Amino acid sequence: MKGTLATGLLLIALAAAAVPAAGQKWTAPQTPWGHPDLQGLWTNATVTPFERPAELADKPVLTEQEAAEFEKRFAQARDADRRVGAGTDADVALAYNQFWYDRGTKVVGSRRTSLVMDPPDGKVPALTAEGQKLADARAAARRQSPADGPEDRPLAERCILWPTAGPPMIPVGYNNNYQIFQTPDHVAILIEMIHDVRIIPLGAQPHASPGIRQWLGDSRGRWEGNTLVVTTTNFTNKTNFRGSDANLRLTERFTRVSADTLNYEFTVDNPTAFTRPWTAAVPMTRTEGPLFEYACHEGNYGMTNLLKGARAAEQVTEGR
Amino acid sequence: MNLMGTKIIVALVGVGMLCAAASVRAHHAFAAEFDAQKPIKLEGTVTKVEWINPHAWIHIDVKRPDGTVEQWMIEGGTPNTLFRRGVTKTSLPIGTVIVVDGYKAKDGTLKGNGRDLTFKDGRKLFIGSTGTGAPNDPADTPR
Repeated sequence: MKGTLATGLLLIALAAAAVPAAGQKWTAPQTPWGHPDLQGLWTNATVTPFERPAELADKPVLTEQEAAEFEKRFAQARDADRRVGAGTDADVALAYNQFWYDRGTKVVGSRRTSLVMDPPDGKVPALTAEGQKLADARAAARRQSPADGPEDRPLAERCILWPTAGPPMIPVGYNNNYQIFQTPDHVAILIEMIHDVRIIPLGAQPHASPGIRQWLGDSRGRWEGNTLVVTTTNFTNKTNFRGSDANLRLTERFTRVSADTLNYEFTVDNPTAFTRPWTAAVPMTRTEGPLFEYACHEGNYGMTNLLKGARAAEQVTEGR
Repeated sequence: MNLMGTKIIVALVGVGMLCAAASVRAHHAFAAEFDAQKPIKLEGTVTKVEWINPHAWIHIDVKRPDGTVEQWMIEGGTPNTLFRRGVTKTSLPIGTVIVVDGYKAKDGTLKGNGRDLTFKDGRKLFIGSTGTGAPNDPADTPR
């Protein structure tokens, strides 16, 4: 444990030293075949919120002192050991002790107050009328049959897709770890959350035909200088990233800017769902292995339990 | 601290409240599986730990006042986070007595979520030691 702490401190120190001093130029490493080398284990765990909180509407960037205070307050607010009222759904929803979580403890290096960087207010843009209609229909379906069968439950509960595991990839309560592998013609990203490996062909070949729809979409990658640019289309209408629909065109940009920092940005371009395109920046930091398997279906007792719970609730209602 | 600084800190308190109000994303909706109206407090002996995903399950035998023994299953989080901190499958030995403060499953069976897992003396599992937090962990032995 001491070793882990020491390693953690070392990583923090390395992260702090990641930006070269003025006049020094950091040279991005290359693979033997001459591509920028992004390979290794990375984490995007951070306490920086996805959207800018209303309280910080006029504060896009924190000072160092404010950042330290934010980190402290965040740790207190998200401490799952804290009980939030016995006998309430909120207390049940905190689920379990803090030691099961791994959210990270630091704001992003830029000290921005949101991961969303465009629009400048740090908020996901409003849905279009069509996007709102789809969101309403999704909500109505959840109300109408919340747990008749597994198909009614969220994709994460079904171990199919986690809304943060990507694409695009954003931090969540645990399993914020990724491993990147490269070959001359492919990049693969192993994602600890859920189980997915994104296999991204490099080059100019076209996307799959519009009739082919996939949970993770269909990705194509290319190099622009030292940046890996990945464009993903062909999502399903059930792949819902903050209100997105099947027309989502996602562009991700990966740029290694130091030995231990991988800048990751993504742009959501989905005119049928959002009133404008929007972009988030989610820096990744090099982390230690191993990356553990999250074989979600291995023991998904929760699904059975909650469906049985719904049936038990029905019996109580019918018995009245 | 100047006025502006005070304002920011106040705002950050607000953010803290906001964070607290936001639901914690576990793998599934815990409030769909467990009943807030059925709190449980159990003292039991660990008989098996399933270090599985998406959630670990701790099996305990709970002796009732009438002498009968109930077999309960308690849901935890992903083992991955604990593995990363050095916890191993032997870190919660069979026979350990633990206290579970949580909520019973809505399906009425002997399952619960371990909202708060402690040893009998109140120490939380897996933390509070230089090692795994488990009793008699070699890492806790003074060197």
